[in-house]
Amino acid sequence: MANPRNKLTWSLIAVVGALTVFPVLMLMLGSFSEGLTAFGRFTTDKYVEAYTDPAFYEVLANTAVFVLGTSLLSTLLALFLAYLNTRTDIPFKGLFGVISIVPMMIPHLLFAVSWALLLNPSNGLVNLALKQAFGLDEAPFDIYSLWGMIFVEALLELPIAYLILAPAMASFDVALEESSRVCGAGTWRTLLRVTLPVLRPAILAAFTLGIVRSLASFAVPSMIGMPGRVQVLATHLYTMISTGFATDYGKAAAVGMSVLVASVTLIVVYRTLTAESEKFVTVSSRGFRPTLVELGRARMPLFGLVGLLSVALIVLPVAVLLYTSFVPYSMVPGARAFSLMGLRHWHAVLEDPITLLALKNSLFLAVAGATIGVALSVFVAYVIVKVKTRAAGLLESLSYLSFSFPGIVIGIGFMWFFVQTPLYATIWALLLGYIATYLPYGIRPMSSAFIQIHSHLEESSLVCGASPLVTLRRIIVPLLVPGIVAGWILLASMFVRELTLSVVLSRPGTEVLAIQILRYSEDGLWGRLSALGIVMILISTGLVVLATLIGNRFKITAA
Amino acid sequence: MKKLLVASFCVLGAIAQAGAQERAQDRAQLDKARAEGKAAFYANITAVEPIIKAFTADTGVTGEYTRISTSKFVATAITEFEAGKLQADVVQAPLPVLEMLKEKGVLANYRSPAAAGYPEWTRKDGAIQLFGIEYVALIYNKERVKPADVPKRYEDLTLPKWKGQIVMANPANHATTISWLIGLKENVFKSEPEWREFLKGLAANKPMFVASFGPTPAPVESGEKLIAISMPKYIVTKAPAPLDWARLSQPMMGTPRAIAVTSKAPHPAAARAFVDYWLSQKSMAMLAKDVGEYVLAPGVYPPIDGIKDARVIAIRELSDDEIVKWGAEFKQIFDVK
Repeated sequence: MANPRNKLTWSLIAVVGALTVFPVLMLMLGSFSEGLTAFGRFTTDKYVEAYTDPAFYEVLANTAVFVLGTSLLSTLLALFLAYLNTRTDIPFKGLFGVISIVPMMIPHLLFAVSWALLLNPSNGLVNLALKQAFGLDEAPFDIYSLWGMIFVEALLELPIAYLILAPAMASFDVALEESSRVCGAGTWRTLLRVTLPVLRPAILAAFTLGIVRSLASFAVPSMIGMPGRVQVLATHLYTMISTGFATDYGKAAAVGMSVLVASVTLIVVYRTLTAESEKFVTVSSRGFRPTLVELGRARMPLFGLVGLLSVALIVLPVAVLLYTSFVPYSMVPGARAFSLMGLRHWHAVLEDPITLLALKNSLFLAVAGATIGVALSVFVAYVIVKVKTRAAGLLESLSYLSFSFPGIVIGIGFMWFFVQTPLYATIWALLLGYIATYLPYGIRPMSSAFIQIHSHLEESSLVCGASPLVTLRRIIVPLLVPGIVAGWILLASMFVRELTLSVVLSRPGTEVLAIQILRYSEDGLWGRLSALGIVMILISTGLVVLATLIGNRFKITAA
Repeated sequence: MKKLLVASFCVLGAIAQAGAQERAQDRAQLDKARAEGKAAFYANITAVEPIIKAFTADTGVTGEYTRISTSKFVATAITEFEAGKLQADVVQAPLPVLEMLKEKGVLANYRSPAAAGYPEWTRKDGAIQLFGIEYVALIYNKERVKPADVPKRYEDLTLPKWKGQIVMANPANHATTISWLIGLKENVFKSEPEWREFLKGLAANKPMFVASFGPTPAPVESGEKLIAISMPKYIVTKAPAPLDWARLSQPMMGTPRAIAVTSKAPHPAAARAFVDYWLSQKSMAMLAKDVGEYVLAPGVYPPIDGIKDARVIAIRELSDDEIVKWGAEFKQIFDVK
């Protein structure tokens, strides 16, 4: 059995390596090359310049607070929501699906702008309302701060954390909790001593992904941090590449290397902490059935909290988007604003032939990219979790390689790579780039689901004569359906609004929606930007509904 | 008299022949461009699609626009050029960018006949032609700022009434803003100490910084801030937003916009046809009217009240080293973290 597994591992290392190593290698070459491209004379000057900048260390401190705060808050909120949804009798469970998905579909730039409109200290709507209600002299909130950044970024990372945690909680063997209660432990004690420790791989996965994502995030640091003069690594890199006209991406790559090292270290730590994955197995061949914890009197107050979170995550930003798409320019809501509302931005967006082409391209990339990405992720996650060799560790690190690099720089790595191939300036370069960069979005939900599936199931199938592939198809994949659906949704939603690679690789004929968003943003056309943002949300909603329906159908068929 | 008449006929005949020759040449050039099929245009300029569409309709050559942000322009063009895959026939960017590309051999010499009426200083050399100025002004919310309070001089921005009310692009890294601040030193203020006093006063008013000019008008439109160091073109593109520009007694300034054909253009005839079309009165009028750009074609102005009478100066082109040096200094002065 070791042989086919080894073969699979090395084949995957070859495929994933081919996808992720080259752009990073090009950036590494660029960081050691004189001049502006990847092939100059060897120099270490770029490292010396980048790491001896005194501002760099203040930036690092801010970045540490930002990423840790964001990941902690998003993981805690996701745990809270996932637990309530999968393990309790809280009402209106459909709402959780919406909470977990919608914020992911809103372009991050717009999400950040919405919150700036609500919480800016000058005329933020929430601040104005609170000042009026409580007779305050000063605005109680200032979104343009480190805490504002953590709050908004955590809301953006929350869906990803939720999509990793919810499937893990859904396939949790409640016998463990029942045993705890039989032994006299209460709900809280069971939660803290049994439920959460068993979910450790999924929690760590969500936390790790949150750190890596917020390290690479640009929209929030740019729209909220920059006006508040809070510099983190992403904006530091932006400043570096946008000062002057001859952008030295090699120097930015030199800084990016430390992010890469930090991310790979995180993965190693994660693997060490979840090394004994047998401890976390909850779906075994003995069968399991989920039962619900009765919330009793806490039911409605807890639902109120979820409602409040939904308002913050969805209602407010989407309302701001809708409002902005109808008013002729950025204006505070009021009678005059409502009297001026119209469809001019919608007409401008929907009658633009490039938008229609971008729509077609983005849909293709989302569906094809997510499907290929998920198929690859199933195999990669299987090897990462079930094959405990060094090669499996190497595969996991490789899968994170492009993803870990700050988005603002990795696109250039892909350009330096693809320009050497016939794929340059084609839609296939975008497709491969997307899959290579966002593979961890597919792998993470699948890994935490794999961890919970006992090897007895697999071994029984093999003993009965089924091949590893048949075992994967007939036994493992049906149990992975929630993870597969979550991974597909994550990838597809990401691809619909992907910007960092597209901005470098897209050419006439291969425009995508995010490029249009960027154009509107660069021209300050917030009305059109909001209208297109809503279109993107609708497309992503369609894809999510489709994935969920297919997932449900597959579960029924498999059952 | 008879001699004079004969001479006149000869001259007219020669002119007519030359005109006919020129037309024939133009036709031959256009036929060649049509045979090539398309002209690929790399630029970072707002809403130029109508010009591209008009070019395609009028010439029968397909115009293809790729928008590349300024920070990626040089990297993209040089990477493609060195790999032998530069897809651009024509490039448009701030002048220093084209100067860098010229140095790398990316640009070809071409003097467009369409720019014949442009001021002499717009012809940088055989390759680069200037056609516009990315002009910067003080843009304010005309519903929130009383006419009496509108700044009359740049120095007014240092008045305490503007504390917390200004928005501007980050002076530590935004190249046009850095150049604009240097332009003030070289063209407006009498001495460096006066200019430094202005900078200190502006910094003391704690302007809100954004990444570029694009996000500057929104906070002014909504009333979050009252005034922006921004571009008057937003008065056109964001109409009917309550934006107006402060008519100062001092000149307006901006960085020059330039255009050139590439040395290894995949469609060289189409590239020349595109540049000719771009520099024509028709295109420049579209750019001014639809996008509010300040163009250098004689007699063409954006439809912004009072702009015709404004004095607009092209700022001296700053080298990258200067931009980096001044960016670092402004970072200190403006306390950019």
